[in-house]
Amino acid sequence: MRATPEHLLVERCRQGDETAFRELVDQYKGLVFALIARSITNRARAEELAQDVFLKVHKGLPFFRGEAKLSTWMYRIVINVLSQERPELATASLDDRDDEDRPRVQPAADDRAFGDLVMKDRLQKAIEQLPVQYQVLINGHYLKGMRYEDLAEALNMPMGTVKTHLHRAKRRLRHLLETEYR
Amino acid sequence: MRCDDLEPLIEGIADGSLPMSADDEAHVASCALCSQRIARARSIEGLLAMRDVAQPPAAFAHTVMARVVQERWKAERAIDLGFNLAIAAGILVIVAAGAGLLWSLGMLSVTIDVDAIVQALDTTGTGRLLSQVQTIAMSAVLLTMALVLWWWAEAARE
Repeated sequence: MRATPEHLLVERCRQGDETAFRELVDQYKGLVFALIARSITNRARAEELAQDVFLKVHKGLPFFRGEAKLSTWMYRIVINVLSQERPELATASLDDRDDEDRPRVQPAADDRAFGDLVMKDRLQKAIEQLPVQYQVLINGHYLKGMRYEDLAEALNMPMGTVKTHLHRAKRRLRHLLETEYR
Repeated sequence: MRCDDLEPLIEGIADGSLPMSADDEAHVASCALCSQRIARARSIEGLLAMRDVAQPPAAFAHTVMARVVQERWKAERAIDLGFNLAIAAGILVIVAAGAGLLWSLGMLSVTIDVDAIVQALDTTGTGRLLSQVQTIAMSAVLLTMALVLWWWAEAARE
């Protein structure tokens, strides 16, 4: 089944068409839920937050003027919801220098644990420690269906900066794994 | 020193977006620390790409729609409460103004002397009565507006 063009769907939603809103939820639930579930490991909580995103979309649709793409606007809402959930990470610095001061251990020669299930768990815990913007960047970048442009617009960053921040985010992730989650 | 120079480039090298120069390659080949860092960054890259994509539950859209209905009901209840309070306030003001009128005319007692009212209306003149009449008129307007708004909201809901 072909998806309804975005502007038509938005227009129908704005006219109070509940079927259109249901269509919108069906269209975006996968991305929104996956994005949130990658930051919030508690599945029930992730589900609740994903629902909150759509409730905010429903409330905000009458005021949505279409200056940004609907998906971009929704990703911004996801960032807000995640920021409210983890306020201490919402305002965390993205500056590289903060990371430089952190004492790090050098990677050990024998690092066999890397790549196994334990490592996956450690990676998840490390991601959860990243600032919300970095979380969304990493989680979104490796999620099929989200484009660089979407991330740039949602995070209010120029396209070129997205790549720089993505590298910084992964670098911080590597540093976290070298220190806290060994 | 060379390792520190290479450190900020590790992630770009690992994901293939930054090609290594011949010098970098020569350094990495002879440096255990840098090759370890690149190996680790590549492992992270692989793990990130392989992460599971969580699927929403089958009833997700249904739950969202139910919450939308619930939220709307809550909002309507708040509006209804507002209208009810406005109507109650309007009635209260009318009653209070009426009582005030009677009190100012000295007729607020258990029994109301209709003759006295008629006489008072004749003798007190419009000045004294006017302020009370204005109050009653204002509250009547408020009450009518509240009722019209209520009617409009109900019509919109249908």
